[in-house]
Amino acid sequence: MPVLWPQCSNCRAFLSEDELNQSEPRPCPACKTPILVDFFPAYFRPPAVGQVGERLVLEDEASCFYHPEKRAAQHCAACGRFLCSLCDCELQSQHYCPNCLETGRVKGRIRNLENQRIRYDQVALSLAILPIITVYFTLATAPLVLYLVCRHWKSPLSLVHRSRWRFVVAAIIALLQIAGWGVVMYFIVQSLRSANG
Amino acid sequence: MAEKEYQRLTRAKARPGLAVALLTRSSLWLGKDHLLVIDSNGFTETYKRFYFRDIQAITVHVTSRRAYWNWLLGIPAAVFALGGIPYVLLNPSAGTGAIITVSVIAAVFCLPLLVNNLFGPSCLSRIKTAVQTEDLPSLNRLRSTRTVLNRIRPLITQAQGEITAAEMLVLLREPSEALKSTPMGAATQTAMNQEASSEPQT
Repeated sequence: MPVLWPQCSNCRAFLSEDELNQSEPRPCPACKTPILVDFFPAYFRPPAVGQVGERLVLEDEASCFYHPEKRAAQHCAACGRFLCSLCDCELQSQHYCPNCLETGRVKGRIRNLENQRIRYDQVALSLAILPIITVYFTLATAPLVLYLVCRHWKSPLSLVHRSRWRFVVAAIIALLQIAGWGVVMYFIVQSLRSANG
Repeated sequence: MAEKEYQRLTRAKARPGLAVALLTRSSLWLGKDHLLVIDSNGFTETYKRFYFRDIQAITVHVTSRRAYWNWLLGIPAAVFALGGIPYVLLNPSAGTGAIITVSVIAAVFCLPLLVNNLFGPSCLSRIKTAVQTEDLPSLNRLRSTRTVLNRIRPLITQAQGEITAAEMLVLLREPSEALKSTPMGAATQTAMNQEASSEPQT
């Protein structure tokens, strides 16, 4: 596996040895752009070679759940099924079968496979604040905000912003909006009654 | 108090290009054994993890973005601060309202200009693994980038082991000879050598 000689990230010219792993940016020999290049041992590591799994030699040996003709090398940490080397998916020192890996990703059970989250707290807060510009929309959005807060109170939040204060603020604003609409309705009914005599 | 799973390395910064219009912002976080890049549009967050053991290289090159912004903000700032304010101050017919208006407009351009220069040179950072090369939009200023690099370099070294400069050069030299023998590689190398030889010796 040949190692690609480091290139300038700006002009793709090959860098000289003097430009690598320096503490200060050095000008690229070709485009003269100051460049800082940090290389790590992984750059020189050959890619991991996949394994196909060994065939069963004896009949009483444990076999892979998915490939009965192959010898089991691991068991799945989630479902416990025996796995051959081909089916064994290692993630952070845990071994999973492809099915559990996919299920874990889709259902968010394996956090490190999660690559997207909806921020319901932010959605609720925006839905509570933005319609205030045109007051009439709040009649519809305030109950929707309360629904979102109740429905997604326990939904996973952002990986890094883990406070629920947005939910709380959104709920308070929505309750105030509903109370405001209640007062408006009360006065409308009162004025209609007094008009009718 | 429980230790936080992620520590903030950079604040959220806009991705360049069209993404600015879509309000996509990117931030960088430090996990136990990986870097986490979060692209957020306010309502959804997309995560990319770069495990320390997989990071092959981090490259940073200085860009001219700061200079562009300096021109873009500097010209109107100069017009209003050096031309507009003296004009309204010296003009007896200009009222207080005109002075305040011109000063506010000058401040609107001067303050971002000042901030742009306080942050230092702009740069573009890229992280390389065996299967991808990703831009890190949140590392767009050289000073903060170096601070972050100084923080994560020991963690990467801890995960991958250390390699001396001499060892690295040995590993790089051997296979690169084959690469340099390709037409494009040879052409680039020749151009590099010519450019290096044409430089005046100081």
